[in-house]
Order: sequence, then C-alpha cells, then structure tokens
Amino acid sequence: MTAPTPTGVRAIPRSRVLLTAAIAIALIATVAVTVLRGSYRDGALEPDAPTPQGSRAVVRVLGDTGTEVGTARHTSDAARDLRGGGTVLLADAEGLSPAQLDLLASSLDAPGAGHLVLVAPDALTLAALTDDVEPAGSIAGEATVPAGDCGDLAHGARALAVRGEDGALADQGRLGAARTYAVRGDAEGCFDAGGGSLLVSDGSITVLGAADVLTNECITGADDAALALNLLGAEDTLTWYVPSATDPLALTAPSLLTHLPRWTGPVALWLMALVVVALVAAGRRQGPVVVEPLPVTARGEELVLGRARLLERASERTAAASALRAAAAGRLAARLGQRHETSLDALLAALAPHTSLSPDRLRALLEHRPVADDQQLLRLAHDLDALEKEIDR
Amino acid sequence: MRISPTLRAAPAGLLALPVLVLWPSWGTVLACAAVWLLVVLGDALAAPSPRRLQVVRRSPAQVVLGGTGTGRLLLTNPGPRRARLQVRDAWNPTAGLDSPRAAVDVPAHERREIAQRFTPTRRGEHSSRALVIDSRGPLGLARRSARIDAPGRMLALHPFGARRHLPSRVRRLREIEGLAAVHQRGQGTEFDSLRDFVDGDDVRSIDWRATARRRSVVVRTWRPERDRHVLVVVDTSRTGAVRLGEGTRLDAAFDAALLLTALAGQAGDRVDLLCVDRVEHLSVIGSRRGTALHDMVSATAPVHPALVETDWELAAARIRERTRRGSLVVLLTPVDATTVHGALLPVTARLAADHPVVIGSVSDPALDELAAGREDVPALYAAASAETARARAAGTARALERTGVHVVHAPPERAPQALADAYLALKAAGRL
Repeated sequence: MTAPTPTGVRAIPRSRVLLTAAIAIALIATVAVTVLRGSYRDGALEPDAPTPQGSRAVVRVLGDTGTEVGTARHTSDAARDLRGGGTVLLADAEGLSPAQLDLLASSLDAPGAGHLVLVAPDALTLAALTDDVEPAGSIAGEATVPAGDCGDLAHGARALAVRGEDGALADQGRLGAARTYAVRGDAEGCFDAGGGSLLVSDGSITVLGAADVLTNECITGADDAALALNLLGAEDTLTWYVPSATDPLALTAPSLLTHLPRWTGPVALWLMALVVVALVAAGRRQGPVVVEPLPVTARGEELVLGRARLLERASERTAAASALRAAAAGRLAARLGQRHETSLDALLAALAPHTSLSPDRLRALLEHRPVADDQQLLRLAHDLDALEKEIDR
Repeated sequence: MRISPTLRAAPAGLLALPVLVLWPSWGTVLACAAVWLLVVLGDALAAPSPRRLQVVRRSPAQVVLGGTGTGRLLLTNPGPRRARLQVRDAWNPTAGLDSPRAAVDVPAHERREIAQRFTPTRRGEHSSRALVIDSRGPLGLARRSARIDAPGRMLALHPFGARRHLPSRVRRLREIEGLAAVHQRGQGTEFDSLRDFVDGDDVRSIDWRATARRRSVVVRTWRPERDRHVLVVVDTSRTGAVRLGEGTRLDAAFDAALLLTALAGQAGDRVDLLCVDRVEHLSVIGSRRGTALHDMVSATAPVHPALVETDWELAAARIRERTRRGSLVVLLTPVDATTVHGALLPVTARLAADHPVVIGSVSDPALDELAAGREDVPALYAAASAETARARAAGTARALERTGVHVVHAPPERAPQALADAYLALKAAGRL
C-alpha cells in the first residue's frame, strides 16, 4: 500500500532531461546565429555591414567599378592616405578630438593631398577644417531634394532621397536627420533644402549632409547611388575612415553601447525578466513562518549581581567584608557543632584549639571591623578561606 | 489556492533567446512573455489540485523529552492524474521534526506515506501550524499550492531525570516498612508481627500476653500506614521561570514531584497534584495508584511558569478542600524572603497545625559559584552579595521551620532526592 519515502536518491525525471537538452540547443543556436552573422562589424555606415544601416552595397559597387576601397579605423591611417592623394570618407564626423582634427587639417594642407568627404559633420568639425561652411538646419522628414542648377557638383544626380529621422540610422540618434549647410566665400552648395545645401564643396573638402545616401537601405532611392558612386569613385583609391574608440588619438571614446548589436536591448530585457522570475521563485516561502511559543525564563543571579555592582560602586568594603565574615562564621559554627545563633565569643573559644592562629588574629578575622582598601578586603577573603580549610581537616 | 512559477520556469525562458536574436524588437519580447505565461499557466492547470488530496495524519501523541517518536503522513490521490508533491509540515521548531519538507510522487488512485521522526527539545505542547502542499505541473514549470486542514498535536513529556534515584529510595522504603530487614515500633496502627525485645525498644510496645506465653519478652511491631494521602502543590509563579543550570526551577520542581509520586506509589500512598499561581492551573486528583505517575507526567507536560505572584491564600483554600487531616502537604516553592514573609508564612503556620508540611525549595547553583569567587575585587563583591542572598534564604527557611514545617533546600540536581529523603524520614518517624 505504501512505498518507502522518496526523499532519497531519485532518478532524474525525463522532463528535466528534455528541458535541459532544449535549453542547451537553444543556447547553442543563439551562439551559432550570432557567430555566423558576426563576420562583419555592425554599425552605422560600416563598410562591411549588410544591415540596413551599413554601407556594404556602396563599397561593393565601388570595388566592382575599379575603385580600391580600404578601411581605416585610426586617424593616422586616414591622414596618411589623405596625404598620399586618395579620397578619404569620414563616415562619422562627430566626436573627433582636436588632435585628430588637427592631424586631418594638416594632411589636407600638405602638397598633393587628396580629397576629404565629410558625412554630416557638426559645427566643431567644420570649424576645424574649413572656414566657409557652417551648419544651417536639418530635414526631419522623408524628402526628395532636387539638384537645382549646380552643374558638376551634382555628380550626375538630379535628386536625392533622404529618409530623415525615420531612416535606417534613426536609432543611431545623431546621424538621423539629414543636415543642411550654409556656404560662404569660395564654397559652393547643391541640393538646396531646409535653409541650406545637402552637398557642399569647398576646395578639397566635400560635405555630404545626408548620411542616408550611403546606407544599404537608402542607396536605391532617387539618384542617391549616382551621387555616392560619382563622389567617392572619382579617384582610384578610397579610404573609408570610421573613427574608432581604440584610436590612440581619440579623446572622447564613443560609448560602448553604440557598438552593441541591435538585439542587445530585447535580450537584456528578457534576461532581466527571467532573473526576476528566478529570484521570485527562489525566494518563495512554502507556507507560513512558524512562531515558537517559548516559555519565559529568567536568569536567577541578576539580582545578586546587581546588588554586587551597587556595593562596588559605593565602595562598601565593610559591608562586603561583614557578609563574607558572617557566612564564614556560620559555616565554622556548623562544622564545630554549634548553634547558628551562637555568639562570636563562644565561636572564638571553640575555634581556638583547632587552629594555629592567635586569638587576637582570629578575632580580627571574624569580628565586624571596617576595611580600608581593596587589598585588605582580598586578604581578608583569602584568610577566611584558609581558616575554613584549616578547620575542615 | 495559489499558482506560482518554479525555479525551473526561469531557465525555460532561455528557449526564447534565438527568437529574440533573429527578430530583435520589443514586440518580440512581449510575444515571448505571452507565450511563456501561457506555458506556465497551462503547466499549473495540468497539475492535480492539492485540495483534492486526502491527507491522514498519524502523529505520536506523547514523546518523552530527549526521546524520539515516529509519525506518518498518508497522502491519497483520488484523481486520474499523477500528483508530484512537495509537502511542508510546519511544526514549531522545537518539536524536532527531522525533515519538515518532503517530495513525494503519488500516482493516480494510489496512496503514499511520508515517515516523520520527532525529537522534541522543549517540554510541553507542540503542534503543526500548517500543512502546505505544492502540486507541480508535468513540466515542472509551475505549481499550485494550498494549505490543507490536518491539525497535528504532540505532547513532549517531562524527561523525569530523577527516575534513576528511585531504586535506592524504594530500597530504603522497604527497609522502613520492615519487609526486608528492620522491624520497628512506629506510631502506625496496623499490626505487623511479634519479635523479641531488644534494648532500646519502647516498653509501651511490649505485648504482655505474648510475653506470658513465652519465656522472653516480646514486642509488637507495626507496619507504617498505607493508603495515606500526599498532596503536592507546585508553585508556577514567576519564581519558577528562573533558569537553574540546564532547566528552569519549575522543571526541577516537577522532577522532584514525580520522584515523590513514584516513591509514594511504591509505599502505597495516594498522591494528588496541584499547580497554582494566581489561579489554580491544574490538578491531578484521585488517580489510581498504578496510573498516578503516568497521569502526572502527561498533566504537567504543558505547564509553564507565568510572570505573576502566587496567591497563597487561594492555595490554602484549595489545599483545605482536597485534604483530610493528617495528609502530607508538599509545597514546591523557593524560599524567597519577599514572597515567604508576605503571604506564605501565615499559610504554612495554619497548614502545619493540621498536616505534616514539607517545603521543597530548589536553590540556584549559580549563587554557590558566585559565593566561591575570589579572583578579583568585583568577584569578591559578587561573593559577598551571594553570601547575603544565601543568608537571607537560610533565615527565611528557619522562619518557616519555626512555624512547624520541614524545609528542604537543595540545588536542582539534588532537590528530588532530598525531597524523597524527607518523605522517607517522615515515614520512618511514623508521622505518615
């Protein structure tokens, strides 16, 4: 009818094996998916990224049409290529340190320097590299901007499609909306919109306000491809410079979060939710807290110790000595067969034959006399003990 | 009934990771959460309801403190689905249940047993506050829990450590009764036998008629009385709560009362027990001789001291109701100057007029330790204070003895024997 209690060793249930296997497979699949896809670096305008925000399409086509495209992560590499006469595309022209900007500017001024293309630079970057271009505004929404009458500067494109804040770069924040720039002096602008130009040329510097134009997602819009390919394919070599946090010249490293893959957020949220579930499940108590109805107990000697401390604080040595003397006298009287109420004289007389102490010494020990200091009290206690031991023999 | 996820439900959620990596969006997270919730809920609903289980509890009624009792919990699953159960039996901790939690699988229409071992560490009543049963789903992702109504009670009995002193005291009793060695002239009324006169015998006990038939002088001997009445009154007031060594003063008092009961049972006397402080708490009256000890052990088990003063006038009234003239009255209360001089002294004076009265007082061994302290000045003051306390107790005991009662004052490990010896001395003196 009854089986032995199953609290001992139990076979691992089948469902647990299945669950463990399923979890293991899921984790392996997750790792595999990320590894297989992870042969490129994902990010805004990354030359190898096939994601919507990447620029693999442009780079591939440029390579097919005979332009040698190299990738630079450090400012020194980009500056070297710039000095060598190639075209350098600065993919993320924000957050460069003054040292990096100085290096780029000096390379640009070197004899035989190449062409520098800035993608949506901010005011600080522009001020470091040129005096004639400054930010004017932005195009927040989706728009198609006609070239207008600007000849060669349009690079054969009649119109540019920009996605604005809804584009592939929207969640990268600062590269979202297309920017427009105002021109002064020798600089020329093209694709006018939003109070400025999307494309500005100032000598060897070209400023492209719409990063969308280069992304995989938007390259097919309007004549974006024509502009990208003609602008970047003008020279034989193109250096695709993506500033990196590991650059020794970088002052403010871009935060690590911008380099995380897109699934980080959802997965982190999911894991956090699971951790909360695990904590709640592990912290659950089965049933109520049981209170023990312990009976009351008290220490018996509290009163005695309290009285002892009172005596000590008041330095009542004589009272303490009297108590010790009375107790010793009581025990001695009992041992000598005397009544408890016997007088001190009778006790001393009975003690005298049994001890080596002189009668005066005995009287000094047992009679009520004041005690001057602690040493005397200690000596009295030990003498009383010695006397009791002597009588005991 | 409550439904909650198990710890396993969290790692099971990791199964959603590939989905989240492939389609990373907040919507996917919501969808995964919904699916996870559905699975967990479904698992919980697939578990059989713990309320439908039939639970039978067989817990031991009484366990001697320091011993072990075994109990059983029988779980019957009347439903068609297998029940995977996690059972928590919430006894209070000092009941000493070896495993309050047990995992057990009960197949459909079958019954399983959970064996329980109790090793209580506190005298008194113990109970199970709740029986909580969790029923896990087939996937083990969720559980349904419910509190089942299956009350459990157990009484941890006084260990009666003084029992080992019983054989020697019984031997003394037999000597006194004359069954073994000595016959003596007591004030008993039950004639026992005749024997030759020896020096020291009371001349009033000479049986002249028997002497006339023989050439030597013959005396009558008398057995001590049997079927006398002993009333043990235990003081359960605040003084009983004092911790002396391992137990409280009340524990030592019960130990003494039990030894006296066992001994008096051997002597053929009837023993009644009264526990009293401000009100009368418990009385064991009129037990048969064979069951008196057992009755008393189980009756005193749940009695604990209360932080009140004893009303000795009330106690005296109860004693008067329960005794005849000549019954032995044993008061188990400490000789404490403050309580004795206030209320106990007049009561004992009145009682002693009608009864032989013994006061059993359990002294504090800590006082003796303190009184022996000589190592430094604070220890000396403590010794002096302890000597004062002992002197006051001795003075109080003398004051009580002047009213005609006998006071037994001993530390807890010697108090039961001392009380038994006092009883034997009364028997030997023929006062009982």
